[in-house]
Amino acid sequence: MNARRVSAVFVRIVAQFRRDKRTLALLFVAPLAIIALLGWVLTSSSATNVRLAVVNESSQQSVGQAVATRIEAALSGQPTVILDRSITDDASARKALEDKTVDMVVIVPANFDANNRRIEILTLGLNPTAEFSSLSVVQKALVDELAAQAGAVMPTIDRATVYGSPNATELDTLAPVVVGFFVYFFVFILTGISFLRERIGGTLERLLATPVSRAEIVLGYSLGFGFFATLQIAVVLAFVIGRVSVPALGPIPEFGIGLGVQMTGNPLIAYLLVLVLGLGAVSLGIFLSTFARTEFQILQFIPIVIVPQGLLGGFFWPIDQLPDLLQPVARILPVTYAIDGLRQVMIAGADLSSSQVLLDLGVLAAIAAVFGVLAAATIRREVA
Amino acid sequence: MTLANPSSSSGPAATPTASTAPPVAPPAVEAKALRKDFGPIHAVDGIDLALPPGRIYGLLGPNGSGKTTLIRLLTGLASATSGEARVLGVAMPSRENLARIGYMTQADGIYPELSVWENLRFFAALYGQTDRAEMIGILKLVELDERLNTPALNLSGGMRRRLSMACALVHKPAVIFLDEPTVGVDPALRVQFWEHFHRLSADGATLLVSSHVMDEADRCDELLFIRDGHVLAQGSPAELRERGGTDNLEAAFLKFSAQTAEGQESAR
Repeated sequence: MNARRVSAVFVRIVAQFRRDKRTLALLFVAPLAIIALLGWVLTSSSATNVRLAVVNESSQQSVGQAVATRIEAALSGQPTVILDRSITDDASARKALEDKTVDMVVIVPANFDANNRRIEILTLGLNPTAEFSSLSVVQKALVDELAAQAGAVMPTIDRATVYGSPNATELDTLAPVVVGFFVYFFVFILTGISFLRERIGGTLERLLATPVSRAEIVLGYSLGFGFFATLQIAVVLAFVIGRVSVPALGPIPEFGIGLGVQMTGNPLIAYLLVLVLGLGAVSLGIFLSTFARTEFQILQFIPIVIVPQGLLGGFFWPIDQLPDLLQPVARILPVTYAIDGLRQVMIAGADLSSSQVLLDLGVLAAIAAVFGVLAAATIRREVA
Repeated sequence: MTLANPSSSSGPAATPTASTAPPVAPPAVEAKALRKDFGPIHAVDGIDLALPPGRIYGLLGPNGSGKTTLIRLLTGLASATSGEARVLGVAMPSRENLARIGYMTQADGIYPELSVWENLRFFAALYGQTDRAEMIGILKLVELDERLNTPALNLSGGMRRRLSMACALVHKPAVIFLDEPTVGVDPALRVQFWEHFHRLSADGATLLVSSHVMDEADRCDELLFIRDGHVLAQGSPAELRERGGTDNLEAAFLKFSAQTAEGQESAR
């Protein structure tokens, strides 16, 4: 291992990217834009009003009507409900749903009677998530109504959490994920393409005709891309954690730059986790570039390498809730450990004395080392 | 030393270096029964070489004759299926030995985003060359010393070729492999390249220059005609002309080719 040769590779990579303004912009601006968008969507999605109609189809007209009226009364007490009283039968209710003039229809069905106390809730069915949240409004109204009839006072529920704040938004838990994921994605793509260009551009052949060793190349690459990953992590973390308020100016309302997500732990440990993750991505990029012949084929690795890590790494669902067969898969993905470590640090405030964080760091370092060896091993694979 | 064509009328006694003074110094480039197969294809089909130092050797042959593969075997970039390659007495591949070897590849092998100076400095660092004056000197020689900060991307094809050569020579190698160095180079520059090659060999360097252009052959001290992974004939341009019974090297090459083909035919 010769320090001068390693540093020559490092300096070269930094010089190459310094010239490539567009890629630099991609490194720094793209993650910020996406995170800002995500933050905006997750924090400002205000609870929208639910437009409702109650329809009585019961064959026992008066019984049904009594129930319908009570439901209407209960619903009208809910702040987010807008009742549409012009709809009175099943057919016009379905039409109204299709025309999107109402979001939900409560139907007292034809067979409703004292023994069959079932009501129906009808929605369009195109957007299950949004419709499910509307459903809870009706359920709450019915519970309130029941409690009022029984003269009982329902207790209010105060939530508390061991870590973080019960008011933590989705954003607070997603932010660590996003930080890790972006660094992994960008570092992988950039290294993969850079190294592929070495292979197809003839410079790798040229490099291998010099005394530089494969390990020196991998190390130089890791330092070079580690350097850019360092800057990227710093910028992204600052944006996620910090928040600067910009006062209103003319027609522009006051807005904030940065997400202001809670960072309970030491940002340096969060940074370390992402950096080790990124170093693994460098080696993975070099390794997989062996199996690509064009830049386009590097992009084909995105659905194979990046997307599964997004799906399984804890981005959307906790690992424990994955199907049994997928759990072991999730547990070999580096992003899984980065996300876990970042959540421990950012939300639970864990530090390096936490065995969980040490485990995450250790696994990430081991994965980086394994791919480092694989990358070095494939460098001399003959181009022929 | 081999004459790949034993059925040739000139016979083994005419083996070129046997007729010249016997080499005193150990060979700079050596190959023993060197062979490289790509599946069923014998890209290099058992080549023996022993090239004394300080001369310019021309590796001549059509495209696909095995020139590049031979160079890659000699530099240790490809691993031989069988046989042995030595440069300056050291068995290849040897990473340490690469510090004494220069290799100008067919592709330019330079980084388009980097400037002339950054490219040269990068390769200099890998070869352990730290002498700035030497680096500037080599750039002067290829007439790129006034374009230090130009990105390689903005250089003309000939300039890129020159930069590529500078990067291969920056560490003052004792053995230099040049794979079609003059492709895409204009005639005036080509003359300069060859003048420079002669200066290097006068300084003691051994050069192995591949080409498929026969008119460059005359500038070499010694030629190796290569075809189908074999050395058809080896000798100075004058010798090969004489043995070929023609004053045209191209015709000589074709004649040696035909003789080998006949030899193979009668062997069957």
